[in-house]
Amino acid sequence: MKNQLKQVFHSPRFVIGFVIFVFMLGMAVLYPLLVPGDPLEMVASSSYPPGTYISLADTLESKQYGLDLDITATRLNKLISQEDKDAMVLWLTKYRGIAEEDIPVEDSVEMVHFWNEHYDPEVEQKGLTNAKRQYYRRLASRMATILETKDIIIATKNPETGALEESNTISFNTYTNVKDIASRRNFVLGTDNFGRDVLKELTHAVGTSLKMGLLAGVIATLIGLTLGLLSGYLGGLVDDIIMFVTNLFTVIPSFVLIILISFSVSQSARGVMLVGVIIGLTSWTWTTRSVRSQVISLRNRDHVNLSKLSGHSLPRIIVQDILPYIASYVVMALILQISSAILAEAQLSMLGLGPSTTKVATLGLMMNWAMTAQAPLAGRWWAFLPIILSIALITFSLNLMNTGLDQVFNPQLRD
Amino acid sequence: MGKIMLDVKDLKTKYVTRFHESVYAVDGVSLQIEEGKSLGIAGESGCGKSTLALSLMGYYFAPLHYMSGSITVDGMNISDMTPDQVRKNVLGNEIAYIPQAAMNALNPTQKIIRFIEDVLHAHDTKLNKKEIYDLARERFEILGLPASVLDRHAVELSGGMKQRTVIAISTILSPKVLIADEPSSALDVTSQKMVIKMMRELMEKGFIRSMIFITHELPLLYNVTDDIMVMYAGQIVEKGSAKEMVFDSLHPYTNGLMGSIIVPESGTRDVKLTAIPGTPPNLKRPPAGCRFAERCRYATAECKGMAIEMKDAGAGRTYRCRMSEAELREVYARE
Amino acid sequence: MTLLKGYKKYYLQKIGWYLITLVVAVFLNFMLPRLMPGNPVDAIAQGSISPGMDATAVKKVLDDYSARFGLDQPLYVQFFTFVKNALRGDFGISFSNYPREISDIIASSMGWTICLQLPAILVGWILGNLLGAVAAYMKGVFDKAILPAFLFIGNIPAFGMATVLLLIFAIYLKVAPVGGGYGYELIPNMSWEFFQSLFVHYQLPFWSIVLITIGGQAIGMRSMSIYELNADYVKYSRFLGIKDRKIVGYVFRNAMLPQVTGLALSLGTMIGGNIVAETIFNYPGIGSTMLSAISNRDYPLISASTLMITIMVLIANLAVEIIYGLIDPRIKAAQQDS
Repeated sequence: MKNQLKQVFHSPRFVIGFVIFVFMLGMAVLYPLLVPGDPLEMVASSSYPPGTYISLADTLESKQYGLDLDITATRLNKLISQEDKDAMVLWLTKYRGIAEEDIPVEDSVEMVHFWNEHYDPEVEQKGLTNAKRQYYRRLASRMATILETKDIIIATKNPETGALEESNTISFNTYTNVKDIASRRNFVLGTDNFGRDVLKELTHAVGTSLKMGLLAGVIATLIGLTLGLLSGYLGGLVDDIIMFVTNLFTVIPSFVLIILISFSVSQSARGVMLVGVIIGLTSWTWTTRSVRSQVISLRNRDHVNLSKLSGHSLPRIIVQDILPYIASYVVMALILQISSAILAEAQLSMLGLGPSTTKVATLGLMMNWAMTAQAPLAGRWWAFLPIILSIALITFSLNLMNTGLDQVFNPQLRD
Repeated sequence: MGKIMLDVKDLKTKYVTRFHESVYAVDGVSLQIEEGKSLGIAGESGCGKSTLALSLMGYYFAPLHYMSGSITVDGMNISDMTPDQVRKNVLGNEIAYIPQAAMNALNPTQKIIRFIEDVLHAHDTKLNKKEIYDLARERFEILGLPASVLDRHAVELSGGMKQRTVIAISTILSPKVLIADEPSSALDVTSQKMVIKMMRELMEKGFIRSMIFITHELPLLYNVTDDIMVMYAGQIVEKGSAKEMVFDSLHPYTNGLMGSIIVPESGTRDVKLTAIPGTPPNLKRPPAGCRFAERCRYATAECKGMAIEMKDAGAGRTYRCRMSEAELREVYARE
Repeated sequence: MTLLKGYKKYYLQKIGWYLITLVVAVFLNFMLPRLMPGNPVDAIAQGSISPGMDATAVKKVLDDYSARFGLDQPLYVQFFTFVKNALRGDFGISFSNYPREISDIIASSMGWTICLQLPAILVGWILGNLLGAVAAYMKGVFDKAILPAFLFIGNIPAFGMATVLLLIFAIYLKVAPVGGGYGYELIPNMSWEFFQSLFVHYQLPFWSIVLITIGGQAIGMRSMSIYELNADYVKYSRFLGIKDRKIVGYVFRNAMLPQVTGLALSLGTMIGGNIVAETIFNYPGIGSTMLSAISNRDYPLISASTLMITIMVLIANLAVEIIYGLIDPRIKAAQQDS
């Protein structure tokens, strides 16, 4: 046993899978400990991209530092969009006859100077709608002042007179240290449509999905193991009946059965664990087949026959003489069951038949929420890509571990 | 003396493992076979006899590599040919091979006749489909196989039929040398005898002109081959006529091989089940001295220290031992 | 006809077995919802009558449903009514699409699903087998980089792959439409413009299925090919002077055969996943139909959809097994033995 374990950890596939899996599991276990709090708390008012959010009010009041940096270029790159640039290039080439390669598009500062120099609203602008003309005029006035770095004055309202009083002046070389700002929050993966911290929700969902997968896997494995043992060891009519049923459920897609059952269970009862149970109840066929074929090959081995001759009871023979030999296959089947259960839950949730709850998140539910909120169409990748990646990493790691084990326990597959 | 069909001189080949270690599986083997003669090669598993069989064909692919030595088939030196020349001009039509596991030697999903067509096309045959079929049917019938076998798949044939089919296919190009690697080890005694009979018949009819028969059962060769060669750790340890080798072996290893099995002709010698203790040496680092010394009952410190050359005992008989013929006989007589 | 003679028993057995499976599947489809506590009509009514719905339509459908299945009758009578109606292709009226016939909705969406999945799974299967064979034979970059990459891609759920492709090609690069089976401004007709639109809308759903199918098939083909490359017949053929290219042909043919059975076994899971992925693209197939049926709690439509998916999977499985019987002589040999 110890030797086999050692071999398992020498299989590169198993090790890679194991490392990924431990990473995902660790994230699900450790993150909530490091960052406590309700994972489904709606902290934001909408879906925001990843980043560190700092309070604007706090910024004004925090300690000021003077830094002498030339920030015009970087600021301009943020302030002038690609669309602005394209519009400028279009106007300049069309109404000023300037060749495109002469326009300094790459350098924003140069570009602004160039534009201010060449733009003239009085030029005849054939084929330009009035709205477009206005747009260019606005653009020009924005460009005219964009290079200026005047101080910004902060004013507060005098509660008695209602007059604005200057309270603070911010110049362009005034900086503040992010560490000084008391109110800030880092959303590594942004927030979702409900304003929840995606990373926090995700680690929680990974945990729930793994638990659910384990439950489904254990149920499926127990059913499969029992049926496989009975069918393989007893043989005869029992074997025929069990194999008939198993073959039936191999061909009838379990996906359909899960949908039918989930739909029929009343919504209030459909919690995460019930979904796990439903998935487990419909996905035992693989385990049954694999256990059965192993048991058949073991049934007539010498040690089993010896045990039979010694008058050992059936449970004792099974526990002592058969289970140890099929343990590796059962573990492999369990691993596969967990991964397919996680996937099944996700698909079920995508159809709106997942756990009917807003108290807990699963990977499928998070995905469903993101899709209902049209996150892909809005380009809010942070609301769904991390979920897809998590599902893929979990199933990938479990499958790798499974093939690694397979190579160790079925040496003819080694290459 | 007949025409020499196969002449091998000091052939050396090695396996290269995937950890880039060399295993010197055939280490300086020389042999000759005359037309119409058969040679048996015997030895324990792992002694290099199967590797020798593969090496004799001059067609090497990983992990087997050619090192040195020459192979001449009916006057044609094949050791400096390119692999494709060997494939086209030697394999199948000069030297043919019957593998160890005839049961699995045929592609299960291909009709026998299609495979025979592929074999002939690989050697640029001028025969058309019909002629190939007729040739195959003729050969199959000689070996007692119905022509209907040609239109079947290997999976539809019984074990004995597959065995005969493999023999028929291997000899369809009338090779000059047929190398059979334990073609009978998986079969029961009656089938074994039949296979041997079939191969002798093929030689009598001139479909094959010489034969090498490899087995781990030395006495089996007594019935089949003219000469016997015993291999140990990649080298020949003794060679002689079949009768001499079985009933009057010189080398302690040959002697031990005979002792490790029950000789069918009882009474001709005392039946002693004395399996040779120990295992053959690791051929990654072959011992410097006599390779059998570790397991030899008569070994002295001298044996382990010096390389032993083949000694001639006259009349085509050679052996590789420190002791002289007389000394060996004396040692055996004492027991 | 003589060719088929040896297979007759095999095929009859297979077809018989699938018919039994079909009966069980229909039974489960009928029974599972009824095993749950409560009268199905009540359950449906409870869930369906929401403020946004046409209450009279819902009531009409419920009446139609009660009458159709004779819900006051014993269960076995209801079952036979169910089977009888199903055989006639009569599934009643949908209340989320009132007054459209369910059979009508299903027929059109099944068409979309089959036209999407059949070619996509086949292409994915073929590409996967090619990759697996090349990885086994040539090793190198195929075995060390491309195959593992596809193996990882293969673990992305179908809907995930769909979402990723949608984000890249439709949202960021804007080279593909964001969804639907054809341009929303078009009416299905035989014009060139319509077919072009069909083709454009087909790309993302098609490739998302192909991409995730490749990895799983490739790894199976790779290990089968390695197993076959070490088979005794390969060595024997080589020593008879047969060219390597020809031998590789033998090997891949043989390695391919278990892949056919493998496809049959994983078909149900694959189709299920791809059906869910349809919803990402709003593809007008059975997946999108089911999604809207579920969100509208349109029970008769869900029941008919699941039944049709099951039948589709059963037919696909049977087809694979029949093809397998034809291409693998071992099946014929096994028939002759018995």
